[in-house]
Amino acid sequence: MNKNYLFGSTSGWKRYAPILLLAPGVFLYILIALGPSLATAVYSFTDASGLRGAPVNWIGLDNYDEFLFQGLASRDNIDATLRTLKFSVIVTFVQFTLGLILALLLNQKLRGRTVFRTLFFIPVILGVVIQGLMWKLFLQPRGGPMATMFDWFGAQSEFLGGLPGPAFNWVIVVQIWANVGVTMVIFLAGMQTINTDLYEAARIDGASGWELFRSITWPQLTPAINTNFLLNIVGSLQAWQLFLVLLGYKPGTQVLGYLVFAEGFGQGTSPTFRQGFAAAASIVLFFLVLIIGFVANRYVTWREARYMG
Amino acid sequence: MINKRSWVLSLLVVFALLVAACGDGDSGDTTETTAGDSTATTSGGDAPATTSGGTAEEVTLRVLIHQNPAFTEYMDAFNADFEAANPGVTVDMSIVAPGDMATSIQTRLSANDVDVIDYCVAPCAGFSNAIQPYMTGVEKPAWQQLIEANLIMDLTDEPFIQNFDEATVRDAVSFDGKVYGINMGRNAFSGMFTNVDLLAELGVDIPTTWDELIAACDTINASGNACMTQGGGDTWPIFVGSYGLLGAEFPDQAALSEGLWTGAIKWNEGKALETIERFQVYATEMLESGVTGLSHDEATARYAAGDVAFLPTGTWQGANLEGFEPDFEWTYAPFPGSDNAADNQYLFGKYDLSFLIAEDTPNPDVAKAYLAALSDPDNYQAFVDATGFLPTQPTATLDSVLGNAVSPLLANYRNAFEQIWVAPTGAGQWANAWQAAAWFAPYNEWTDAKALADQAQADLEAGLGG
Repeated sequence: MNKNYLFGSTSGWKRYAPILLLAPGVFLYILIALGPSLATAVYSFTDASGLRGAPVNWIGLDNYDEFLFQGLASRDNIDATLRTLKFSVIVTFVQFTLGLILALLLNQKLRGRTVFRTLFFIPVILGVVIQGLMWKLFLQPRGGPMATMFDWFGAQSEFLGGLPGPAFNWVIVVQIWANVGVTMVIFLAGMQTINTDLYEAARIDGASGWELFRSITWPQLTPAINTNFLLNIVGSLQAWQLFLVLLGYKPGTQVLGYLVFAEGFGQGTSPTFRQGFAAAASIVLFFLVLIIGFVANRYVTWREARYMG
Repeated sequence: MINKRSWVLSLLVVFALLVAACGDGDSGDTTETTAGDSTATTSGGDAPATTSGGTAEEVTLRVLIHQNPAFTEYMDAFNADFEAANPGVTVDMSIVAPGDMATSIQTRLSANDVDVIDYCVAPCAGFSNAIQPYMTGVEKPAWQQLIEANLIMDLTDEPFIQNFDEATVRDAVSFDGKVYGINMGRNAFSGMFTNVDLLAELGVDIPTTWDELIAACDTINASGNACMTQGGGDTWPIFVGSYGLLGAEFPDQAALSEGLWTGAIKWNEGKALETIERFQVYATEMLESGVTGLSHDEATARYAAGDVAFLPTGTWQGANLEGFEPDFEWTYAPFPGSDNAADNQYLFGKYDLSFLIAEDTPNPDVAKAYLAALSDPDNYQAFVDATGFLPTQPTATLDSVLGNAVSPLLANYRNAFEQIWVAPTGAGQWANAWQAAAWFAPYNEWTDAKALADQAQADLEAGLGG
């Protein structure tokens, strides 16, 4: 017997109720997510400028050819792609680990743990511009807090305005600081679903702290681990706003997301609006996210099946 | 059961409302009802506004400008006067950072969400970077894209255009025989603000050659003062400040652009290489440490403190510097980039911001009246006095410390390289070596001028197909 638990029966118009209920969401998804995504794919084969009324011509694979193969600009684009991967790997690993450690610490019965949870989560609710301005002040090379600390050890740095390597690393630091609160909260939520009887029984059997973590917390956290893993990967691959706010256009620091913005919205040296080219760059980014996301998803699915059954 | 039905029906209503909200609500007419009994109606953007009820029409003029303290202060006062002179008109002015102007103009014009724009797309220079006959395969500049998309109004026959000098109208706001705006002034940026009192105290003359500048900096730094400061936090001031070097070595900037395209000039040979070497000296030895902690405006405030001898930047900062009321005598002198003093008498610069009108503005008459008021000689003189821009109206004068310093050099005023140059498609990021001053350590990775020059030339040739 087919029973609809929401409406009690599948007879008459009620058969269509689920479809009607889903319709607004599907409509919004098509309108806001799927439609623009498909349009971006189409735009990537054109010379669209993004200006209302401007002609749009089909140019085939020219944008991809320029992005991947033309002159030494392609070297800069490939470098930006590799830099995006590097950013993603470091941010994912550090943010994941740090979020887990913070969650483990703040899941203990400590005095003031709510205050600490709030403190670690506060950066998440700040906008990117506020986050960027705070760190610009913190890293102000003329008497800023970090410059003063450097000075204690006789060191000096231009920080965000200096060498591309350190400037890029500072963006990684800010990205992790800004988002580790979400990772921590997801882990905390996962930890609070674990049955405390498991710990109790294991302790009676003489399990150490490490064994409790390895044999109970880690496997039981599987859904939270998988969620954080995927969110961190996708979020870091798509990050670009902090690069804009903290560094602007600085040779040797661009990531793909920033490159898409700069090309599409006339931020280059000789400004021109190239949304077709930007769309091609964003499709490259899309495939990067797709491939890595697919592999990661396969891994977490396998992991979930192994630990959760 | 009734509750469940109501729930589903409610969802359907919400869905229908969402669909309605996403529809095009613009019927082509806009009607605004105000507190009084007047109703202002404008149709389609073409017909003049009509008024009913016997009172002034209520119109909101949406204006987009870029951030510059002296300029925005003037615009606030101008808008108040314009509103007072035009009852019923409200000016809704948005101010955005210069770096965000391109995005704002692109999106707001496309959304028909703005009536008047200050075309200050980096490098904020009128209709610059036009495609030259020797350039092949390059993209059209943003202003040309806007015009060809029919987003900018043709103002050729508007009488207020005649208030500006012919060369400005031709070079700064014209395309294909039509005039699209008013250019509000020029700026030079190959000079440096010079602290006359500090130099006198140290017994140093205003340097007129490169060697004299190096010697002056040595003396100034040895005294515990700083030779130069800069707004390195915004990056571009570092290379804009080095412009005097490029201008001194290549007074014919159009020829430099063409030479790089044709291969007659190479970044890693002769004068070009020497220029890049001097960029390095300027960036690493003349600028004080920590300049990346200063924005462009903050650097001017820092300079006004009095213990820095030079601030190499554009004349647009003259009014802001005066606003900080520096307690010392200052002037604006050419950056002495050449060993020959005669080569250092040029000023290189650009046509700065231009006001344009959106083609589809629903308020074309008010928008034109706004530009006409900005063009009025008395208002324009007030604008020049407030901003320190070099006038583009023949009747206006720049009567200020800056004006007095710059006037003798205006005979040698030339359009700068960045207004002409467009990098070939496919060229690498180092091909724009006129910005190289910002690429040396500690601001970026380069420590060897020759290696950077070689890379710049390789990046350029990659775009030229070499």
